[in-house]
Amino acid sequence: MQLMNPKNIRGALTIATCSLLGLNSAVADEENWEIDSAVLYYSETDRVTAIEPVINLKRNFDDEKALNLKLVFDLLTGASATGATPSDQVQTFTRPSGNGSYTTSSGETPLDDTFKDTRAALSAQWEQPLGRDYKTSVGSNVSKEYDYFSLGINGSLSRYFNQRNTTLTAGLSYANDTIEPEGDIPLELASMAINTGQARFEEEFNATRRGGDESKTTADLLLGVTQVIDRQTLMQLNYSFGQSDGYLTDPFKILSVVGNDGRAVDYVYESRPDSRTKHSLYWQTKHHFNQDIVDLSYRYMWDDWDITSHTFDLRYRWKLGHKHYLEPHFRYYMQSNADFYQRFLLDGQPLPEHASADYRLGELTGITLGLKYGMTLPNDHDLSLRLEYYQQSGEANANNAPGILSQQELFPDVDAVIVQFSYSF
Amino acid sequence: MTHKLLYIVLPTTLLIGGCANLGVQPWERDLLAKPEMQLIADPIEAALDDHIYFSKEASSGGRGFGGGGCGCN
Amino acid sequence: MFIRKKGGRRAPPIHKPPSLKKAEGYYIGRFQAMACPCELLMAVEKKSLAKSLLTLAANEAWRIEQKFSRYVDDNLIYRINHSNGKPIKVEEEFVQLLNFAQQCYELSDGLFDITSGVLRYAWTFDGSDRIPEPAPVEALLPYVGWDKVTWQPPYFILPKGMEIDLGGIGKEYAVDRTLLLLQEKCQAAMVVNFGGDIHASGDRTWSIGIENPANLDSPIKILKIHQGALATSGDARRFLIKDGKRYGHVLNPKTGWPISNAQRSVTVAAGTCTEAGILATFALLQGEKAEEFLKNQDVQYWIE
Repeated sequence: MQLMNPKNIRGALTIATCSLLGLNSAVADEENWEIDSAVLYYSETDRVTAIEPVINLKRNFDDEKALNLKLVFDLLTGASATGATPSDQVQTFTRPSGNGSYTTSSGETPLDDTFKDTRAALSAQWEQPLGRDYKTSVGSNVSKEYDYFSLGINGSLSRYFNQRNTTLTAGLSYANDTIEPEGDIPLELASMAINTGQARFEEEFNATRRGGDESKTTADLLLGVTQVIDRQTLMQLNYSFGQSDGYLTDPFKILSVVGNDGRAVDYVYESRPDSRTKHSLYWQTKHHFNQDIVDLSYRYMWDDWDITSHTFDLRYRWKLGHKHYLEPHFRYYMQSNADFYQRFLLDGQPLPEHASADYRLGELTGITLGLKYGMTLPNDHDLSLRLEYYQQSGEANANNAPGILSQQELFPDVDAVIVQFSYSF
Repeated sequence: MTHKLLYIVLPTTLLIGGCANLGVQPWERDLLAKPEMQLIADPIEAALDDHIYFSKEASSGGRGFGGGGCGCN
Repeated sequence: MFIRKKGGRRAPPIHKPPSLKKAEGYYIGRFQAMACPCELLMAVEKKSLAKSLLTLAANEAWRIEQKFSRYVDDNLIYRINHSNGKPIKVEEEFVQLLNFAQQCYELSDGLFDITSGVLRYAWTFDGSDRIPEPAPVEALLPYVGWDKVTWQPPYFILPKGMEIDLGGIGKEYAVDRTLLLLQEKCQAAMVVNFGGDIHASGDRTWSIGIENPANLDSPIKILKIHQGALATSGDARRFLIKDGKRYGHVLNPKTGWPISNAQRSVTVAAGTCTEAGILATFALLQGEKAEEFLKNQDVQYWIE
């Protein structure tokens, strides 16, 4: 047995016997650490670009106990749509911090580029069996960026039935987020103070503010059943319930108040309700053919903001021999708009209680097409590279867009390229 | 909304009840034990994607917890 | 493991019912299977539970024995060995075992080969000095070699004249299967011990007596086992001696002759009995390099 690295014989035998006995092979090397690392590059055409390195450490202990530690960095640059409408003239906006202004040319979608931010997030998760029939998992996560802080905990309990063919899971999570934007929290639906050189600008700006920070809490409940269908097929059905309370508005988003000619006479800060209740139903199935695996899932979401969405996801892992695979991916997403979503407000109409022009709350569809290539190296490390293309299109029509707005592109497509490189050892 | 819940509870109960007959013997778990047959085969990729879509769309989650809140939505 | 006889077949083994005894804090169940004394230690309090676990264990051991035995004349092994080169469709458990046998064949560079059983027609290891002539051994070599079979799960084609024998992994596999079955019913600490191939689970340390195979009259060694498995491969009882040279019964399938300088007995500890057994067998196949091999695998071992 000189051909093969001696270490590999033991490892290969452990995997082979686990396969024979139908056990999950947590292949125990003397180093019981599994390290997964990845870098994500996300880039929207003309808009936001993000680079996200991730590292995940998993330490396996005896008896199926494990500790997972994850560190993520998120480096964002670029510009994001503010919600204001384009115009046939140059528009000037005040930055969210109150320090300075920016302009948008004619025909351009207003974008705010004060958006350079770095986020760091750390999470820890512990899982272990409880007796023969139960498994439990508890964890915590913390995340910080310049103006945002999030702290959360989660726990779940699973029970096996039917020779582990059926698993019922219940999970709970709770998070508390604090936002403290530079320039403070804007007063909902207050008019934006524009700096045209007046001496009282600072006072005017402060009048549009209502406090230094705000917070929100999110509680989620998950109930799921996982079922082995046959030797090749696994299925899962989950119901989730989520409740968010507190400050749910985006302090950086605004709406244009337009006159009959379609040009903006005013800009106001958006306002969202202070609570949101979400439900979702998620179904997933995985099937193993001779060599390849197909992964299909569907999620239906509905909430009390009147948004409903459908998400359809399909992956096919095409094995090219023992060590390589190619995995095409297709995702289709469709959502309806929130009931307080408005592309713009009309001058003269009374201000609604809540309004937002954030395109992410509007009616839209998103299509993702991707391809992933993965391989196992001779030293048993895994690497993969995926390349995806995501295009989002606004679906709403603006038949009632007054004046010049009917000539403007009110719902531009957003397209992004996603590239991810992963390495595991 | 309550009747929507019923649409979930009823089929799920039937599913669990009917599930007593489905499944495999312990020695038939060879394929299911493979890492690529786990429901979330690549947790890092799943978390990164969840983060992207959470920032760009109005829906999130559905399949489990992990960590991380952020200031993006 | 399976006592071999040339020509003729025994009837399938009929076993006495298992016996149950109570000891201090646990029960001991005993029965015969796979030509060795089998023992089940269970740290349970209720006799009825011990009895049902013992019945479960004995039935599983006998089920595997029936399935793998060369002496049962209508099981899958028999049909494969008499298939005359025609394809046989094998069922689930066999698919797993044949896949496993193939992996072991590849990992051992062909030294571990379940088609090597036919060599018993040339060799009888009865402690005598009757070494076969080279010719009968040579004549059997064309019928040995996993590379000659066609394995496309679930179809298996064994060329005419060849035989497969799962005896090399049967007992250890039975130990693991039995324990897995018992663990589904009961979380108590248990030890399954089939003739020295052992797998213990649960939260308890057991003291088990192991006889020294090289010196059957010497006192029994006491082994303390907590969790994990132990398997022994060896040829203390079956060998030939001629002109002072000892011929162990572990044969090299490529030459048809015993592995030179094979160790008498190798015992290995691992997570499962199957894995321990294969490692012990692999070690034996290394001849004098057995110790070096085991050191490289970073496992606990004992060599006699």
